[in-house]
Amino acid sequence: MVHLSSFLLKNYHGGYVVIRLALAGHKQANRPFYRIVAAYNKRARDSKYIEQLGTYDPLPNIYNEKLVSFNFDRIKYWIGCGAHPTQSAAKLLGLAGFFPLHPMTITVAERQRAQTLQAETSTAEEDMREQSQKEADV
Amino acid sequence: ANQSILHCPAARLLSPRSAVLLEAVRGRKSRGDPVAKSKEGRIKEPPPVDPVEMVVLRERFSEYQLIMRALRLEFKEEVLRKKYQEETGSMAEERAKQEAEEHRALMAWNDQENQRLLKLRMLRLQKEKEEAERKWVEADIQREQEQQELITQREREILQLQEDAKNFITLENLDQRIEEALDNPKNYNFAINKQGRVVKQTVQQ
Repeated sequence: MVHLSSFLLKNYHGGYVVIRLALAGHKQANRPFYRIVAAYNKRARDSKYIEQLGTYDPLPNIYNEKLVSFNFDRIKYWIGCGAHPTQSAAKLLGLAGFFPLHPMTITVAERQRAQTLQAETSTAEEDMREQSQKEADV
Repeated sequence: ANQSILHCPAARLLSPRSAVLLEAVRGRKSRGDPVAKSKEGRIKEPPPVDPVEMVVLRERFSEYQLIMRALRLEFKEEVLRKKYQEETGSMAEERAKQEAEEHRALMAWNDQENQRLLKLRMLRLQKEKEEAERKWVEADIQREQEQQELITQREREILQLQEDAKNFITLENLDQRIEEALDNPKNYNFAINKQGRVVKQTVQQ
């Protein structure tokens, strides 16, 4: 394991800034809650960040919504200063409309749609086959 | 003809530049731990890739990265413009002017306050000086009065003495006085009871 103490010095600037999801420290089992955060790359996921830029609640609420919040002004600033968003952060921002839609969201949606269509056609074929067998028996 | 084949997007799939085998990077086993029994003959393979989907995905990714690059440059420009405006824009000059005016006004107010307090202080000092002078004067008067009283007291005593001196016994009066004393015997005895009644009439010895 790389010894990280030299990376965690206060004014270490060798790394770069990322915009990523960090687990908010609520310490409840099976109830995650993420903060969208600008942090240095080599820091641990949940440890000290530079600035919080939003939140993301992955479990849907009573109206079946997943709530996300963004501070677009500060996100613009950090991306202007050269921050890289992670994949999930980029996907969320794409769904929000701030970024273009991430290609993986589109491909995953297409795959799911293809799967459901296939399942429907296979069940329709089975029904057809059953009907033809019954006719043949009769 | 070769060049045209290489230009079309499908050619990127057929000649991959990097064929990376996934290595074990993280996990809870350390270096010397053996492979688990359930995973002994396992050969890990990457998930199967659909070439049509891959082509489409590559196109989408290239578009996405183009847009992202453009956005990044836009945001960088905006940040720089804001910084520039902050430091050397029209607003900065106005703000500097306003701050200078505020500073001048505050300094003037401060000077006025100092003047006012100075006047008050001078008045107070004057009063205190006068008080002190008055006290000095009063003390002097007091001292003089006391001295005068002392002098009068001494004079009174002297007069008293002078008057007493008339009744003194001298060598000339000695015989006369002795005879007078023998002629008038004085009796200083008296009686007193518990109630405080004094009785000066006593039996002569």
